[in-house]
Amino acid sequence: MARVADYFRSGNVWVFYLFALPFAGLTIVFGLWPIALSFLVSITKSATALRANPDYVGLANYAKVIGDPVFLTSLWSTLLYTGLAVVTNVLFALGYAFLLNSVLVRRGSTFFKIAMFLPVVTPDVAGYAVWRWLYDQSFGAVNAFLALVGLPDFGGIASPNTAMVAILVAELWHHAGFYVIIFLANLAICDKALEEASALDGATPWQTKLHIILPQLRPALVINSIYAIIQFLKTFTVIVVMTKGGPNGTTNFVSYYAYRLFDQGRYGEAMAMATILFVLVAVIAFLAYRIGERGRA
Amino acid sequence: MRPNRLLQAGAYAVLILGSLFFLYPFWWMVLGAFRSAENVLTDPLRLWPEQFDFTAFSQIAMVSGEPIWLYIVNSLVITTLSTVLSVVLTAMGAYAITRRPQLIAFRLLRSGFLLTMMYPYMLLVIPVYIVVFKLGLLGTYAGIILFLALGPIQFFLFEQFFRAFPKEVIEAAIIDGAGETQILRTIVLPVSMPIVATVTIITFLLNWAQWFPVLVISRGTSTYTLPVALLNQTGELGTNFQAIMALAIITTIPVTIVFLAAQKRVMQGMAEGAVKG
Repeated sequence: MARVADYFRSGNVWVFYLFALPFAGLTIVFGLWPIALSFLVSITKSATALRANPDYVGLANYAKVIGDPVFLTSLWSTLLYTGLAVVTNVLFALGYAFLLNSVLVRRGSTFFKIAMFLPVVTPDVAGYAVWRWLYDQSFGAVNAFLALVGLPDFGGIASPNTAMVAILVAELWHHAGFYVIIFLANLAICDKALEEASALDGATPWQTKLHIILPQLRPALVINSIYAIIQFLKTFTVIVVMTKGGPNGTTNFVSYYAYRLFDQGRYGEAMAMATILFVLVAVIAFLAYRIGERGRA
Repeated sequence: MRPNRLLQAGAYAVLILGSLFFLYPFWWMVLGAFRSAENVLTDPLRLWPEQFDFTAFSQIAMVSGEPIWLYIVNSLVITTLSTVLSVVLTAMGAYAITRRPQLIAFRLLRSGFLLTMMYPYMLLVIPVYIVVFKLGLLGTYAGIILFLALGPIQFFLFEQFFRAFPKEVIEAAIIDGAGETQILRTIVLPVSMPIVATVTIITFLLNWAQWFPVLVISRGTSTYTLPVALLNQTGELGTNFQAIMALAIITTIPVTIVFLAAQKRVMQGMAEGAVKG
């Protein structure tokens, strides 16, 4: 065995460097370099950003961004939307996973799972293009359906009051299936014996769910919340396809706003926003992770 | 425990309603492509076309000045090549990192990769534009394919698999005097086939849907894929509802087929890849 131990300790690392080289190359060229660049660009004057010798302006872009009332509104609506979307998606997925996993549902569960997951693999552009028309005030099926069952019209993406809810529903359609399967994976490894014992001790099904199963779902709850936070803080495609930031800027979320500035050649400000959003994503995800971990101990 | 009949009916009712919510948009898309705009306008909720109207599919023979087959070929080529590249690169990288996790270079690489995956994707693409520009790859297939080859779920699935790989088997081979490439080829690769298949299918599905990097790295319509063509169409022909639905169908069909053929593998793989991250 000494030979093996020697082998593992020393020598022959070069072959592993060689194996990892293409992956490392790609990570550096398309990951670390752009991230470094985005930070560099965020401290340069936009007009000179793409030149070989850009003018560095320190934190001026950050100051401009923070002083921009449109950005502050955008940031606020991004946070509001993220909060709403995370809670709705995670709770919906939790409930749906409980149902799919329930003893009540045996036949057809594969069908239900496929139906729920198909929107996840559907290209988001195609899905949102369909939703954009479902909400249409004259073509759309949503209002026609509401009229049919005698409910008032839904403003959809045309009204500033309902646009956020409208894109939230479309995004739930696209993303929820993913959160459901993570809950399902966790439910599959829950301790069945504990459940039975609690039922034998006379706990109602709801008590069992709340006190026995839910605590065991903590890992999936933490993972899903973090994923959802990251997902919805950077909401982008749905905006590009459905609202373009409107109506009245109600869905002008940070990613989209930064992209529009970039499109106008305001690279410095756009990248300052990107950096702010990145820090925000990292901090919030980290906090969610810590809260999840602390609850476990 | 005998399930309560009433509760059971309730559970099924909710799941059927849920499935309708998930599936109805697909059906509405299909109907929208085969019904004339006037017909949809008069009766948006109809569940079967009055008659099959194929005009939309002839309208989209040309999209944004390019024949539709160009986008179909682009989608197939870009998705397939980026998937193959992604699987090979990531598998090799993850294998090396799990075999020698204590190497400082590998620890740095792993953290660097995780940092990249945490960075808001849409905002990463913008500086990637500058990088691709500097590399002279703007508007090329190579630029698009290389960027699409990087993804978190691929890495986590491979890393998880290789970590669980029994060390004794590899140690035994080393004692027998096998070289590392030989070990990889004759011992690791044959048993890795299921995970390779899972990652390949998932990467294909994910990369088929990609649009933003394709749009940003492209210089014109000649390297657009189907989702980008579709997006372009929504802006350009804003109100040609029927054509948009037809294009959405063409964009959706391939992934639907792949997913239905491998649904169990896809769902399991995506759950595992996520749980690791």
